[in-house]
Amino acid sequence: MAEDPRLILLLALADDELVIGHRHSEWTGWAPYIEEDLAFSSIAQDEMAHARLLYEIASELTGEDPDALALGRKPPEYRNAVLCERPNGDWGFTVARQYLYDSADEGRLAALAGSSFKDLADAVRTIQLEERYHLEHGRLWFRRLAEGPVQAREHLADGLSQALPEAMALFETLPGEEALLDDGVITRSSEDLLGEWLERVGLDLESVSLDWVLTEHAAQVGELVPTSSGALEEESTPTLAVPGIERREGRWVHVGEFAGAGGRQGRHTEDFTPLWEEMTGLYRQVPGASW
Amino acid sequence: MKTDMGVLEGRVREALAAVPDPEIPACSIVDLGMVERVDATTDHIDVDLLPTFIGCPAKDIIGEEVKKAVRTVAEEREVRVRFVYDPPWTTDRITERGKEALRSFGISPHWETEGPVAIPLLTGSGVACPYCGSADTVTESAFGPTPCRSVHFCRSCRNPFEGFKAKQPSGG
Repeated sequence: MAEDPRLILLLALADDELVIGHRHSEWTGWAPYIEEDLAFSSIAQDEMAHARLLYEIASELTGEDPDALALGRKPPEYRNAVLCERPNGDWGFTVARQYLYDSADEGRLAALAGSSFKDLADAVRTIQLEERYHLEHGRLWFRRLAEGPVQAREHLADGLSQALPEAMALFETLPGEEALLDDGVITRSSEDLLGEWLERVGLDLESVSLDWVLTEHAAQVGELVPTSSGALEEESTPTLAVPGIERREGRWVHVGEFAGAGGRQGRHTEDFTPLWEEMTGLYRQVPGASW
Repeated sequence: MKTDMGVLEGRVREALAAVPDPEIPACSIVDLGMVERVDATTDHIDVDLLPTFIGCPAKDIIGEEVKKAVRTVAEEREVRVRFVYDPPWTTDRITERGKEALRSFGISPHWETEGPVAIPLLTGSGVACPYCGSADTVTESAFGPTPCRSVHFCRSCRNPFEGFKAKQPSGG
């Protein structure tokens, strides 16, 4: 039974929002100060609400309860990009990920606003009006840390180095993407969106002289994630360049494969299982509970 | 004995005008621009509502309150309430009376202020203080006590206050 590609798309979008929303909510009570506590709690609330709305649309396709879609699936059935499931780490990683995720989200939402799938297009046009505040928050902190004292800059650079390869995989090609393009459900391919996003991020990084994170990758990619073929490298060799990024004619472009792919196919990192266990714990114990 | 549908719709709208936003009791859902459609027939009354923010936790309460209010004028008709997303709710939908109600509640409808809709933090924002009217204010956070509210401080009267977050298409 081939899955409806629209369902795959909706789940990829909803799972991203649910899982990153869950991570953002982990700052509640722990953020460096009260305004950021509120900010991440509020962003989490928005992201989870967006996920819920997308699950509701998906439930129209499957006839399943939206809660069952959100919380009743097994880990390999989740289609979020692995970037979303990574633990919050320090403030530098948190800011780097939020900036990268929300700038990527901006691009894909802009393309989905013109979808031929009316329920999705309607939802997206409302979601866009809320996401701008998230992106603004991410950009503000990106700039604050980048222009801050050396230590802040270092934390941000480390966070960017760690998050960038996996942020690219937000644009991993979806199973069934061709059919979605043919039907106008999506208006741009993931590859096109990736190219445009990379160019925007490249300009942002250049504007604060942090574009070196695109070529001098510090994180141990081999140790962290499966390659896009799904196989883990035997020996983790720290790479110097972010896989899949090159500079050509003054622009940052995507070439070849990238690290961190697999999420859209349901392949996740070791960080996903504990998150899934906590997120779905109540639902698994008492399916249908209301709270 | 038949009730004219136009008259009935008028009664429904009157009933809706008495339903407040539970988090901003000074302002009715009609003045917030949340009521998109009222449709009355001989056997049912449909009300379509636009949520201000998708994650608004008051949504379910508002839905229930709307049902209750409409039932008082429904004369045995079935009352159906839905949240819809077409068109997206924007701050432009808030009526003049709604803006006044927000100000009286200490919330600035600040997208009225000149300048960018986006919220620059901790810089002179020009958002008008709902208490003293001064534009000498700073935005402390785009994220306040509810998804739809931001947090500001007035340097003139030294009061903290909230803003209703602008929700307008980019460039607006």
